[in-house]
Amino acid sequence: MIIEQDAAARAATREPARDTDSGLAILAAAMALPGVAFAETAPEQGLIGLKYLYYKDYQPGLDRIHVSSPSLYVLTPLGRQWSLEGSIVRDAVSGPSPRYHSAISSASRMEDERHAGDLRLTRYFRRAAVGFGVAYSTEDDYESRALSADVRMSSDDNNTSIVLGAGYSDDTIKPNDTGGGSVTGDEKKKVNDFIVGLTQVVTPRDIVQANLTHSRARGFLSDPYKFLDNRPRERNQTALLGRWNHFFAGPGATLRSSYRYYSDTFEVKAHTFGFEWVQPVRSMTVTPSVRYHTQSSASFYVDPIPGSAFPPVVSLQPPYYSADHRLSAFGAVTAGIKLAWAINKDWSVDAKFDYYEQRGDWRLGGNGSPGLDPFKAQFYQVGVYRRF
Amino acid sequence: MRSLRIACIAAAAAVSGCAGLQPVQPWEKGYLAKPEMTFEADPLQARFEQHIYFSKENASGGYGVGGGGCGCN
Repeated sequence: MIIEQDAAARAATREPARDTDSGLAILAAAMALPGVAFAETAPEQGLIGLKYLYYKDYQPGLDRIHVSSPSLYVLTPLGRQWSLEGSIVRDAVSGPSPRYHSAISSASRMEDERHAGDLRLTRYFRRAAVGFGVAYSTEDDYESRALSADVRMSSDDNNTSIVLGAGYSDDTIKPNDTGGGSVTGDEKKKVNDFIVGLTQVVTPRDIVQANLTHSRARGFLSDPYKFLDNRPRERNQTALLGRWNHFFAGPGATLRSSYRYYSDTFEVKAHTFGFEWVQPVRSMTVTPSVRYHTQSSASFYVDPIPGSAFPPVVSLQPPYYSADHRLSAFGAVTAGIKLAWAINKDWSVDAKFDYYEQRGDWRLGGNGSPGLDPFKAQFYQVGVYRRF
Repeated sequence: MRSLRIACIAAAAAVSGCAGLQPVQPWEKGYLAKPEMTFEADPLQARFEQHIYFSKENASGGYGVGGGGCGCN
């Protein structure tokens, strides 16, 4: 679920709050934020959106997963003190995937449909906003239920906003018996996650955000369809995300930049950089984008044996093992272009195309994992939004 | 953990270093009200793309909590 950090930016453009609410002074004190008064208000308009994604990935010699995914989003104020936000999506997924590394000979075909939805209710006070969320997803072999709660506070001038949030998810994994994988009976996975975030208006043309998230997963974390996959039963992950939007008055364009540092107890460290240039052209906007992601491999990831069609069966770091290329060391580049057209003040349509490629050679600083074919993907999105 | 600690201190310093600037007044916030100046003007696109990268890479997080999992990774 995406915490509405965007609300901080919307709040920043409103008039500062005038009233006080002594009932929440206790909350303020508990949050230990001296010198900061708080103000939050419900969204002024509702929003409904429909978006369709077509995704396909492939490697040399093998077309892999295809996904067709319609989705719906609604955000609606409920009076002046509440808002409700929700989305639903249906992913139709099919295609072959290698059971280890990028070995085409090992590829097994799958077909599945995933249905997911989330709902978030937010109560606005004069000095804070409190949100509660639920999320649910179900597919043939996986079910996930999640809860979350968050508190947001803004400064009196709406230039500073802080969020604290926590989430819990309880997943059940019921692998299909496809043969050849490390299939077991039903398994469980539980995750606790936390966020602390700060959004700050810096100048009339600059807004920045820094979020720190930490996640603790316990239970079955392996991939039951991958050969001999046996991962630790716990993983802690930490991510620090910084984002900066800067407006250039000359061209009337916005540069959106982001950097995320990631580290986990599988010993994967990653850096992800993203840039978008939003260029208005009359009632349209054209947004080229580029993203670069680099990661180290998990400590228990094993490289292919050079010249062999078969995966290694002895791990150098028993008892954990994975030949899943997603845990290898690589660099990945995404290049994208989006066109959006604001038909009038209420309606907008958009279309986006992204090309993605992942290669061991592209890891920052070298030392990418050897022996894997380049992994490529294309994603196409078309959507419409209406304000009400 | 040490490199993470350094990253946190750098982020805090970068944000708090801005405290020396004059606070932005309400009448100066015209540009900030543009959708492209917010952080998630297109929530469905953000959901799709975060899900794709969660499924195909080993890094995730930084955006929110309580989203639940999937069989896709």
